[in-house]
Amino acid sequence: MEANFIHVNNLYKSFDQQAVLQNVNFHVKKGEIIGLIGPNGAGKTTFIRILNGVIKSDKGTIQINGLDPLKDGDDIRKMSGIVTESAGLYHQMSGEENLHFFSELYGVKNKNRVIELLLLFDLIDHKDKKVGKYSTGMKKRLALAKALLHKPEILFLDEPTNGLDPDGIKLVLSYLKKYNEETGTTMIICSHVLHQLENVCQSFAFIDHGTIVEQGALASLEEKYIDVLKVEIETTLKPSTPEYLGYKYSSVGNKLIFDLPSKQVISILLNEILKTNEVFSVTTLNTDLESIYFKVRGAHNGK
Amino acid sequence: MVSKAIIRKDIIDITRSKTLLTTLIVIPIVFSVFFPLLIMGSALLFDIEKVTGSDLNMMLDKFVSVMDSSVAAYSVEQQIVYIFINYLLPTFFLLVPIITAMTVAANSFVGEKERRTLESLLLSPISIKDLYLSKIIASIIPPLFVSIISFVISGVIINALGYPIFSTLIFPSTNWIVLICCLSPMIILLVVLVNILISSKVKTYQEAQNIAGVVVLPIVALIIGQISGLFLLGVELILILSGVLLVINFVILYRISKFNDRPDLFEKQIH
Repeated sequence: MEANFIHVNNLYKSFDQQAVLQNVNFHVKKGEIIGLIGPNGAGKTTFIRILNGVIKSDKGTIQINGLDPLKDGDDIRKMSGIVTESAGLYHQMSGEENLHFFSELYGVKNKNRVIELLLLFDLIDHKDKKVGKYSTGMKKRLALAKALLHKPEILFLDEPTNGLDPDGIKLVLSYLKKYNEETGTTMIICSHVLHQLENVCQSFAFIDHGTIVEQGALASLEEKYIDVLKVEIETTLKPSTPEYLGYKYSSVGNKLIFDLPSKQVISILLNEILKTNEVFSVTTLNTDLESIYFKVRGAHNGK
Repeated sequence: MVSKAIIRKDIIDITRSKTLLTTLIVIPIVFSVFFPLLIMGSALLFDIEKVTGSDLNMMLDKFVSVMDSSVAAYSVEQQIVYIFINYLLPTFFLLVPIITAMTVAANSFVGEKERRTLESLLLSPISIKDLYLSKIIASIIPPLFVSIISFVISGVIINALGYPIFSTLIFPSTNWIVLICCLSPMIILLVVLVNILISSKVKTYQEAQNIAGVVVLPIVALIIGQISGLFLLGVELILILSGVLLVINFVILYRISKFNDRPDLFEKQIH
């Protein structure tokens, strides 16, 4: 099993006696894309800032590739790329000038890198325009280009799709996934738009009230939190009893929604239906990230 | 190592900001074009000797008695112009580097904070010391440049209009040369250092300007209030004052070079 690239143990942080992070434990493997998800004000941005060594924690230990953000901050920042929520670009300079400036700051030697990224993020036609005149989506794409200038080993993305239109979201997320596959860059993506992250991240950390309440891959979280599987089957079957093969269901038009104890039951159920009827589609309803998110929050808030 | 990228970026920033650029253009015009034009023009157009009374003549005699012996041989008109150019104008002239340095340096960190770009800088691998030093250099260049240009323009005006009165070039005197080479750069550095420190501690430009007005202006006023006297007393004292400022600047710079608290700077932003 691969060793953890980022280790965070018992991390605490408060501002003016208000606790923002409490007993945070967080681990990321090298090359993993992890979604850091939680409601607004849960502490995601503060956590990212602490990992980058620009805010001091009150207590706890952090190791990123064996480095401590406070002692070896510049080494961590050299290998990190970050997209902040406010994008942090210079509005009075053009897109190209911004990228050249950050290239120098990050010590990028490759002169073609700026043009490469402008082309990649569809900004080449706007390279001479002042960033102040950019749309929100263009600023986000430029911020992402800025974060990738020095080919970082870790990418911190704080709400990278905020303000993007559906095309922009698709462009950015599919690029991030492809980039991760090609380069093995570790990525931490903060977001509260859950369905966007589902196909991009390999695992998820749920942050709530300043604590990481759960962390793991979607499959293992599903196993842990989903006790009743809701499966929607579009079929010609019209059962006459309130239960079918002993499983409860409800019907909506020509669809039946079954409450099943596990995934394994799906094929048994389908086999039985197909003996006498047709099946047009089968969909599991409550195994998506959003359902799991609410289950996790419910479980931890109920404690 | 200072970051050339930050220096270049800051200078671009200043030249593209209408407010900063206006200050950098208007202030030198007022103090290095308008003032010399006014006095030299008056001397050429009006008969100053007739306007002045006996009280002024007595005062002139006192002034002249401590000056170079050649001044005593001047006519009253020449003496008035000479005193204005060499003893009063320097006080006004110093306002050029002071006001421009204050404006530029106060904007330095606060401008980044207000536009939420300081976060990007602090999240990049630049050390706090290098960030401060780069910002200091970027804030020194415009006032230094502007004051040298102003010096040249003043010189051209004074000599062009002064030649018919004196039949010789009266500018620059040794005092002026020491002022532009030693005192002005030291004052620029002091104003920049103090304003950069303020700019890094406060959150808005307004706040930076207010504090600078309360803390920096009185000190500066105290210094420039003495300039006429210093000029009268000679080059040595101007050099000594420049030396004292050099030591003060060095102490502040040394302290800044020890700055290493990134979280402290980060937390003094608008969130």
